[in-house]
Amino acid sequence: MAPQLRLNAVAFVSPQNHPILIRTFEQPRQDELKYHYIAHTSLDVIDERIQAATASKSTDCYLGLLYVEDVAVYGYMTPLKVKIIIALELSDSIVRDADVVAIFKALHTAYRRSVANPFLRLNVPTENVTDHSILVSAGNSRWQAFRKRVDEIGRASYGFVPSPLFLVTSKIQ
Amino acid sequence: MFVAGLDVPSSSATPQSPSPKQQDPFVALAIRLREALTSQRKVAIWQPDKSKTFQVILVDPEVRFPPRKIAPAEDQQFHTPHSPLSPLTPSSPLYPDGLIAPIWIRKHTTLVPSVFVLFKRIYEHPHTSSRTPLDTHDPERDREREAEERRKDSELAAEIAQRKKSTNERSIKLTVVLMASRKMLDDPALDARLTFIRRQSGLDPRAALFVLSPVTSAEIGDFVRSLQEALYEPAIEYYTNHSKRVRRKRNRHSQANVSYQLPLTTIGSTSAQRPLRPEGWTVRYEYKMACFAEFRGEDDIALKHYHDAYSALHIMLGSTAILPPRTKRWAEAKVLADCISVKICKLYLYNNEHAMALAHHSSHMRLFSDLSRGWGIGEETFEFWSWLARQHRVFAELLEQGTRSTLKIPTHLPSPGVASQTQETQRGSLEVEAMRALGLNPTQALQHPGFYYYMAARCTENRRDRYLRALENESSHHASPGFVNERKVDHLSIVLELYTRAYELFKKYSTSSSQSQGRLTLWIAYLIAQTYYESGKFEMAVRFFERIAKTYRREQWDALLRPLLSTWYRCAQHLGDMELSVQLLLEIIGHGPQDDQDDPESLEEDLLAVLKSTVPSSDQVLTVDLTESGPLLDTSAVFWKSHVNVDQAAAFQITLTAPEIISLASLPFTSLLVQFSGDLPSITVQHTAPESDADVSSLQKIDLGDLSTSSSDNEDKDKDIKANLRWRPGDTLILCGNLTSSVPSNMTVSKLVLTLKEGNWNIDLPLHPNSRRSGTIPYPRWLGSLSPVRFIPVHRDNYSFVVVRHRPHVVKVSLSSEGPAYLGEEFPIVIDVTNADDRELDIVVDILLQPTEIEEADNFISVDEERSSSLIKGVEFGVLPPGVNMNKTLYLACSGAVGDRVIDISVQSRSMASVSPTTPVTPQSPSQVADTGETLRTLVVPTVDPITATHHVTYRRSTKPSPGLGDLDTFEGDYWDDAGEAHVVTTMTSVGPSGIFVEGLKLLREDGTYAKVNESTVDQDEDEFLTEWHTGDEFCDQCRISLARLDEPLGGGYIPGPGTYEVSWRRLLPNNQKGSLAKTRFSLPPLKPPSDGLIALLNVPNTAKLHQTIPLQLTIRNGHPTKSANIILQLEPDAVTDGFVVAGIRNGRLPILLPGGEEIIKWNLIPIECGWVKVPKIKVMNRRPPPPSAHGQAHDVEGEGEIVEVVDVRWDGRPEQSVRTSVDVARKSVEVPKVEMHPSDAAQFAAVVLVLP
Repeated sequence: MAPQLRLNAVAFVSPQNHPILIRTFEQPRQDELKYHYIAHTSLDVIDERIQAATASKSTDCYLGLLYVEDVAVYGYMTPLKVKIIIALELSDSIVRDADVVAIFKALHTAYRRSVANPFLRLNVPTENVTDHSILVSAGNSRWQAFRKRVDEIGRASYGFVPSPLFLVTSKIQ
Repeated sequence: MFVAGLDVPSSSATPQSPSPKQQDPFVALAIRLREALTSQRKVAIWQPDKSKTFQVILVDPEVRFPPRKIAPAEDQQFHTPHSPLSPLTPSSPLYPDGLIAPIWIRKHTTLVPSVFVLFKRIYEHPHTSSRTPLDTHDPERDREREAEERRKDSELAAEIAQRKKSTNERSIKLTVVLMASRKMLDDPALDARLTFIRRQSGLDPRAALFVLSPVTSAEIGDFVRSLQEALYEPAIEYYTNHSKRVRRKRNRHSQANVSYQLPLTTIGSTSAQRPLRPEGWTVRYEYKMACFAEFRGEDDIALKHYHDAYSALHIMLGSTAILPPRTKRWAEAKVLADCISVKICKLYLYNNEHAMALAHHSSHMRLFSDLSRGWGIGEETFEFWSWLARQHRVFAELLEQGTRSTLKIPTHLPSPGVASQTQETQRGSLEVEAMRALGLNPTQALQHPGFYYYMAARCTENRRDRYLRALENESSHHASPGFVNERKVDHLSIVLELYTRAYELFKKYSTSSSQSQGRLTLWIAYLIAQTYYESGKFEMAVRFFERIAKTYRREQWDALLRPLLSTWYRCAQHLGDMELSVQLLLEIIGHGPQDDQDDPESLEEDLLAVLKSTVPSSDQVLTVDLTESGPLLDTSAVFWKSHVNVDQAAAFQITLTAPEIISLASLPFTSLLVQFSGDLPSITVQHTAPESDADVSSLQKIDLGDLSTSSSDNEDKDKDIKANLRWRPGDTLILCGNLTSSVPSNMTVSKLVLTLKEGNWNIDLPLHPNSRRSGTIPYPRWLGSLSPVRFIPVHRDNYSFVVVRHRPHVVKVSLSSEGPAYLGEEFPIVIDVTNADDRELDIVVDILLQPTEIEEADNFISVDEERSSSLIKGVEFGVLPPGVNMNKTLYLACSGAVGDRVIDISVQSRSMASVSPTTPVTPQSPSQVADTGETLRTLVVPTVDPITATHHVTYRRSTKPSPGLGDLDTFEGDYWDDAGEAHVVTTMTSVGPSGIFVEGLKLLREDGTYAKVNESTVDQDEDEFLTEWHTGDEFCDQCRISLARLDEPLGGGYIPGPGTYEVSWRRLLPNNQKGSLAKTRFSLPPLKPPSDGLIALLNVPNTAKLHQTIPLQLTIRNGHPTKSANIILQLEPDAVTDGFVVAGIRNGRLPILLPGGEEIIKWNLIPIECGWVKVPKIKVMNRRPPPPSAHGQAHDVEGEGEIVEVVDVRWDGRPEQSVRTSVDVARKSVEVPKVEMHPSDAAQFAAVVLVLP
């Protein structure tokens, strides 16, 4: 049985490398800034991975283990180049890629649902879909649903063995 | 390997060095040898290669080895002697319970060799160079020489034997290299001498004696290599023996440990003198075996022994009974465990087992962290962090050493097999591989050494933290020796050093060279800067901060920026740089408070305090540009319309809103400068305090009035605009007004500058007109009304600027033409341009005829004198005053096929006002856009045929007798070999929607080789048809064409029509006018006269008089190219109504008709009845042998024969295809007699003559 992965933090970063949302689940809550730095520095490794991926013409969203500090940092990039970074607590066991990918897929779904919120675009002057500021604003504190979804996933990783099915069917805010 | 005997006179070598030309070749050799040998192997931490090289230490030939085992002085008789380093030896530092000492390693690496190489000169008897050739061989002298040599050799052998003795004691291999001159090598006596020396000195027979003469460096290299090759095995053997010895001891020890230990424990009854425990001995022996295995290069064995030693040691350390903490032995054991751990990591890395290495490294740290807790040096002590930092650092250094030579850091890219994992799990045999492919243990993913330096630095920071905490409690805490030691440590410089190394490594390993600075390195740099701050080097810190902040600002990572800015601000405070402080404070205010932690107003108060209490370093205005980072105010500049015309006002609103979370209310802003693009004047809004606080609403609207480029500057300069420039959280100031431009341009708000004045401080705060705060979407809105406050959202992309352009020109263009154009005519199209504007316009028209895909289309257009098949450019219509219209006629001529022709017409207008000299010419005017307009029209002209023609052709056979084969006339040049006639009936139909007037109709003859026009009806009565032809009118013409016999079949099978009808016509225009003359041509159709095989032509007059003889003539023509014909003729008078009396052959057979031959048979007929009388039926048979076809029984139809068609020449007329079929039918009739009669056969039987009375 796959050991349980403990999710310490999640970060969503826009294609322009602006932070969208960073949530930490470590109990007790401490050192949130650390995860900001981890997310930011991971972008370097992600850039490297993307270069490697384009060189090998890989279309996999999953970027694998980025680096290890006192947490293991994994990366994922959606097809629209939004980067998702998670920090897993270190445990001396093999982390199966499939499990990590499942977490990423759940997070990606949460993000997708939130960005699909039509009210995000209320009063936005342009119809420009490529404008990333809309994506960034999804992490704004005004939009609670996204946070709730991500937090739920975070909680799930503490409480249950992550299963994408459970996460996707979780209550939509 | 020890090398001795090469330390040749160093005292003499140094003074000689300037001119070593005359140097003794042996000295040079010795120097070279030293170089070659010492360069073999450098002592390094990372030595994975297993080449057979030695670590060479140069020693004195008389070097003494450290003492071997010595027996304890007091009771020699009881105990076996022990090494001076053994814990059993009281004089040993390890006595009585030490594990192993570093000196033991030193002994085996530097003090005791595995092989000993002794270099010696062999005695060479000096040559008596004065010897003349006359000297005879002098036996006396030879003997003397031999004796001398023998003596010297004995001395040498004795010396070697002495050395041999000491090496044998330790079973070290001794090898002697004798250096001799080149001449000596050739000496036949050498072998004998060498054998003598070897025997005498007791050297081994194998690989113990070498002879070397002075040679070049390259050859020395070869020599050194072969020397090492030869000595490698003895060296391995040496260490193997050591291992064996140790293993023996270990085994013996583990078997008999009780009996062996007991006497000792009784002796050493005091706890301090407790001897080494069995676990300790295990550690000791395993460690020794591991070392020896490592010396041998057997890494896997070494690894195993190290592992055993490590686990034994771990057991020892795990029990406070065995090793009480904080004792000397305990500390030694701890260090030893660390050392062994590093060794294990290294050996794993040699083998490229990165995961194992890292796993061991982390498990070591984990195990010893647990132990540390038990020892009272847990995570809350600086000792623990110091130790942890050291572990990380050692590991980082090991990796760094490794990467410098052979170690490769693996990359942890996700395996591509994630998607296809189901397949992989099915492969049971490769389960381990599959597990690896599916994921990896993050704790076992090796990274580059920078990470470990970084970890070490973090640990050291923690160490400092703990130390500082301990320092606080110092009064209560009793200063332990460790604490005293710790006090001497400069933590910050260690942290700095570690970070700097990490920084360099991160830089080295970052592949994203495209970006100026990696984020990882920035993070390290930030930590370095923090450390500089901690250590009071504020200037350095500030320099780092400046660089780091740039990236963080650009990428809008406010969360990272905030702590950076606050540290930076503290640095600035320490440095006393007031400008920087103010700047940073403003930036911090702009970023908003940090997670509700601190009071939002405190920053504001800080800033005011700074401003009030200090003076700027210079009187210059301090500009704090926060457009890059978080702006103080949220701004947006919105224009109501996206486009306005010149001289038309464009309304704008500039909204300045203070964010809800930022407090700015007390910042003393004095003025706000608004700058616009282009020539628009800028406006300054001055601050005025509201009369009472109650008046202040959260929304202020200030009208800036109308601004325009044309208004003179003086007029508006001192426009006194005042507003309350204090923002409480959420307050909004809206500046509105109108902009007018007299020239086309883009108008926008280019800059907003807030000025803050306090005391001597004069600070400019430029603001971007449309600021963007990260994480928010700009929300442009237009204030619709103030009471109630109502905003209208602006849903437009480019709300922040307005495009000014010229008024569009009002030009009316109409195109008129009559119905479809006819092919061939010049079709008039009237372009009518009317200037409906109030300006004079210069009109130029471009006309483009679009290329068509219609076949053979050859179209052109013409206007005035210009003609083109595609584009006519710049048709001048001239300057049209307002209201004037002008037209021009465009002619379109089309030929080819019918279809639509497309014409694009572009009417370009240019305002004459903009070029007239009355307009004030501003300096920018040359570059500005000319006031032009364009009206486009596209016209599709359907093109049709005015007249269509259809042809009907019939062919007649020639009635003339064919000339004989030898007729000389046929050889004349102009001989017309008549082959009948073609009758062409041409029907022309007027199909155009409007009628045409035909002015001429001609048949242009183009007589060819095989066809010529004989006559045509149009030649005769011309005037009758030259009239107006209206739609549906038809005109018909007949013409006869004489055909010549074809010499050979034509290429396409057709004879080109020998003439062309040409119709000259004019279009009938509605107002009874006629259009231009156009000509339409129709060619006569191509002809294809049918060919005959065998044919009979019946020629009979049309009328006859009763009882008067008329001739009846039958011409039988064999047109077949090859077959002759056997004709049987039969005249069958109508038995019932016989209207004629016939004179002539009734039934007979004609001579054989050759191909091309012709026979004429004549009858005379006397009509005996009036009216339409049928001519007697003539039956012509071709009785020719049946075709030699396959069926042999065809012979019996010979009597029948083939019926030959009889054609009445008066009715002769065949369409092109019919003949062939009739021939076919006739031919088939032989085989299939029941075939139906062809219509043409009717003529054969219906030949009638009108007999008149």
